Amino acid sequence: MKRQLTITLEPIDEAALASKRKMSDGMGAVVYFAGVVRATEENRVIHAIEYEAFQPMAEHQFNLLFSEMEKRWPIESVRLVHRIGMVKVNEPSLWVEVVAPHRGEAFAACQWLIDEMKRVVPIWKKPCA
Amino acid sequence: MQTTVHFYSYFKDLTGCAQTRETLAAGSTIGDLLKVLADRFPKLGALQHSMLVAVGVDYQGRGYVLKEGDEVSLFPPVQGG
Repeated sequence: MKRQLTITLEPIDEAALASKRKMSDGMGAVVYFAGVVRATEENRVIHAIEYEAFQPMAEHQFNLLFSEMEKRWPIESVRLVHRIGMVKVNEPSLWVEVVAPHRGEAFAACQWLIDEMKRVVPIWKKPCA
Repeated sequence: MQTTVHFYSYFKDLTGCAQTRETLAAGSTIGDLLKVLADRFPKLGALQHSMLVAVGVDYQGRGYVLKEGDEVSLFPPVQGG
């Protein structure tokens, strides 16, 4: 399984990521997800979220999750971008893409990866009013 | 035995620092370290049950026996995405 992980201070360019997609002839499903900063957090109006990562551990934990994904589903590739630093409302903080032979495994793997990320990858958010 | 402890997220605000060093007896566990830190930083002590602990880049439980040079990180539940 090909894997590409980026933890960056730069804005996530979804069009550029989509333009670099590579998939072989046997692949029939691409699932991608963008997590976007909402204008409210726990009923408070905010203008941004500041993300902090313990980056070496975050990279290690993401790679453990990718390895587990590879065991569970026939995934050809996963690309994940997590932005850190200040992310304004309406801007994506997370972008994930999973390429697989069929939609079932692509959706399941993408959902699982995001759920597990929120459980084990050391990234935190601080809402900014 | 000297152990370096790093704090992340709002744990830095609770302790007033990003890292500290503690001297512990040989054979001390993470649980022993947390007791020492709870005395020194009472606000942190109140959050011990939800606190996540890593040594290096891997999670470890309270029974993990610390070794010289271990880098311990303490942080609240993660919130990525």
